Amino acid sequence: MSTDTQITLKKRKENPDDGELDITPMIDITFLLLAFFVVVSKMDPQAAVDLPKASFGLSVQDKECVVLIVAKDESGSTTNVYKGRSKDPELAISAASPEDMEDAVGNYVQEELSSHPELTSILIKAEGNVRVGDVETVKRGVAKAELSASRQIYAGIKEEQQ
Amino acid sequence: MSDDIDNTPEDDEKFGLSLPTGNMAEEQAGDRPAIEHSQEIDQAARRSGDKYKSMGWKGIDDDEPEEEDDEPQLSFSNKEPIPEDELDMTPMVDVTFLLLIFFMVTASFTLQKSIPQPPAASDAPSTNVVEEEEQQDYVEVIIDQNNSYYVTTRDSEEREAPSETEMRRMVKDAKDTYGPERIVITAHVDATHERLIAVCDAGQSSGLKIEVKTTDLEF
Repeated sequence: MSTDTQITLKKRKENPDDGELDITPMIDITFLLLAFFVVVSKMDPQAAVDLPKASFGLSVQDKECVVLIVAKDESGSTTNVYKGRSKDPELAISAASPEDMEDAVGNYVQEELSSHPELTSILIKAEGNVRVGDVETVKRGVAKAELSASRQIYAGIKEEQQ
Repeated sequence: MSDDIDNTPEDDEKFGLSLPTGNMAEEQAGDRPAIEHSQEIDQAARRSGDKYKSMGWKGIDDDEPEEEDDEPQLSFSNKEPIPEDELDMTPMVDVTFLLLIFFMVTASFTLQKSIPQPPAASDAPSTNVVEEEEQQDYVEVIIDQNNSYYVTTRDSEEREAPSETEMRRMVKDAKDTYGPERIVITAHVDATHERLIAVCDAGQSSGLKIEVKTTDLEF
């Protein structure tokens, strides 16, 4: 009788172990999903720039570039130029004319390159539906910055295998 | 009967022999019950011994190993050794996988693909003197205001490429036939940026040096 009660006690002791072993992978998976979605949610503002697709792009270190984003607004009527890596409205460069835009872009690039001499190139992330003329305006603005003369200009693309 | 029985032990004591002289049947009949009793007792003892042994073996097999082996194992295994082993490894593996996934994802972030662009040309007239070349060493691609491609090579007049794939094929054919070094892209300002990038990509794939001109003159 005593052995039987001990056996049943052992079985009762094993059951909580099974319950604990069920919970642990659930917690692990939960943390995995949490980390995954945290990272994915950070991706969105960067991926929001609808870059044109090309198959023979070069790899560029994003941190070593002065980044400019050229994108149309939601209505699709006007094109905005943003300083930096996100389409934050506070970072938009406002200009009344293409000449003013060139000057503003040139001043921004000049400031960035003088304060961060380690930046080696200029990356223009222009969306695919932007007019060539608007991108050309930004390029001319970059060319107005004296420190950009020795630095390579890149157009950001989204790699696509063909 | 009693005398004979009483005498027989004396004979036995004298001769040291057991009972062949007298009443075989009585002696046998008298011995048999004793033997049967002894056998019964032995059998009973064996049975009881078997029972006790079997019970005892069961009890020993069940009680002693369980009480001495299993219960300490259970008590120790549930508290000390297994938690130290398993609970030390599992979070380490989890954290390792988390870090691996984190760095994999962030590494894909930093990889920004790009196409090198020539610096913008100003509107000022060029001071470079370009000699008229007899042999055209470039491919010219025009993107008009309607986003159509027109490819001019050395061997063919200006031809419209009906699709982006056709434009890429024509540029590649020109590269394969006469080996130009440059691709001169003339884009209308109203063309879309993705068309310009597509032509740049075609030139990049053939290893051509890219030159970009923009114009607001309608073709």
